[in-house]
Amino acid sequence: MFSFTKNQEVFDISGVHIGGQPGIYPTVLFGGLFFKGEPNFDDAKNELKKMMTLSEKTGNPAIPDFFIKKEEDIEDIINFIEKTLPKNYPFSVDITDPSIKVKILECLHEKKMLSRTIYNSIHVGITDEEKLTLEKYTPDAAIIVAFNPKDKSPDGKIEVLENGAHLTDKGLLDIAKEIGIKKILIDTAALAPGENSGASIAAIPVIKEEYGLPAGCAIHNVVEKSKWLDNFGVARKIVDAASNITINIFGGDYAIFGPIANSDIVFPIMAWNDILISEYTENYFGVSPVDSHPRRKFRP
Amino acid sequence: MNENYYPWGGDFTVCSPGGCVAVVLLIIDHIPPEDVAIYGPLKTENIGVEKIVANVISNPYIRYLAVCGEDIRGHRAGSSLVALHKNGIDKQHRIIDAPGAIPYIENIDEKAIERFRKQVEVVNLIGVTDKKKIDSIIKEYTSKHPLPFGEPYVAIKIKPEIDSKMDDKRALHSKIVVDYMGKIEKRSI
Repeated sequence: MFSFTKNQEVFDISGVHIGGQPGIYPTVLFGGLFFKGEPNFDDAKNELKKMMTLSEKTGNPAIPDFFIKKEEDIEDIINFIEKTLPKNYPFSVDITDPSIKVKILECLHEKKMLSRTIYNSIHVGITDEEKLTLEKYTPDAAIIVAFNPKDKSPDGKIEVLENGAHLTDKGLLDIAKEIGIKKILIDTAALAPGENSGASIAAIPVIKEEYGLPAGCAIHNVVEKSKWLDNFGVARKIVDAASNITINIFGGDYAIFGPIANSDIVFPIMAWNDILISEYTENYFGVSPVDSHPRRKFRP
Repeated sequence: MNENYYPWGGDFTVCSPGGCVAVVLLIIDHIPPEDVAIYGPLKTENIGVEKIVANVISNPYIRYLAVCGEDIRGHRAGSSLVALHKNGIDKQHRIIDAPGAIPYIENIDEKAIERFRKQVEVVNLIGVTDKKKIDSIIKEYTSKHPLPFGEPYVAIKIKPEIDSKMDDKRALHSKIVVDYMGKIEKRSI
């Protein structure tokens, strides 16, 4: 449970506050949709409803993270977001295929949804075409993934943010700023088991003290990729959800916690942890939680 | 199995010690014929590809690399592996003409990559999901019994230099200082 010397940025992304000193704002939770198989919009609607209810109960803001795999899905998913989410509610789009990034941004622009879009993500694989499109159609916020294939330590992550680690012509922070992205969230790039994934947690306080920007990661990815956990039956879901508490305990501001279906465990766990953090940080550092914080909802 | 084989570890199954085919599984759930040397999934176009290169060249009996199944959208790990074999890497360590999102080879040196390119022939079955067809093509190659490619090559993992000393009292990381109450400050140099 930490307090940072560096001034900490707090971004208001379409009503959701993210960042700041630990203990003030609740951890923002990104629940993923459409990662596996074909998009099932009925299931997605139900899962979103459940996540929103949990968010209201706990106080932890929920952001749906829509994985868009292929071109044929773009319009359907964006129409679904437009129709299903409350007006102006923020969401993120998670896109790995470079060839469809441009089309998604164009579509979000046409539908006037960029002001509530979190672009997930900018990384060392960014192309010139992607940069130009982002300049033209700039989302409200973007996640920068500090993945350095050569050096997975916090230093390596800082290297890609600072100078691109010779993989890009300049640092990812400068690239994002030149594009015109004002709200930058740093993802400390959790990798596979055995790939120094602990560094993605250790990097959170280092990066927050270095830049004052909101930081977090998808630490659950490490659990998801573990074969060893197959030996423990039902424990997988619990370990997956529980792995997220390393994020807020190390001062992080958000967790990309994986499948939205894990919301039922993730929200209470993270809220509980936020309560403990807030108790400590208020007592020792004098920071009070906001009205929406889980601690305000806590009844001993 | 020679204990020096497959030093980089990973998610794979070892089969026949003298098998000449290694099978890379993209989006396909399949157990190839048991006379292949090794098989396993490939997910990422950087770390995953590096592990395949390092493990394949550790076993000189492997002369064919069959890459099968649908490629992974976005990452395009299979196509990036094929591109590495065909083109190598550029000065920025990017796999030349790889279609993946972040196709960088950073933890393995160029000698190892060259050895990989010379040692194996790629059997490009990307997009092929018919398991019978895959097995029949693999069998064509396993029946060739080519000679091994010299001695095993143990690729050294390139590691970033770590500047740490026994008297370093840092908590978490050298860039920050954490006091006993949890206050973090940037370490002054």
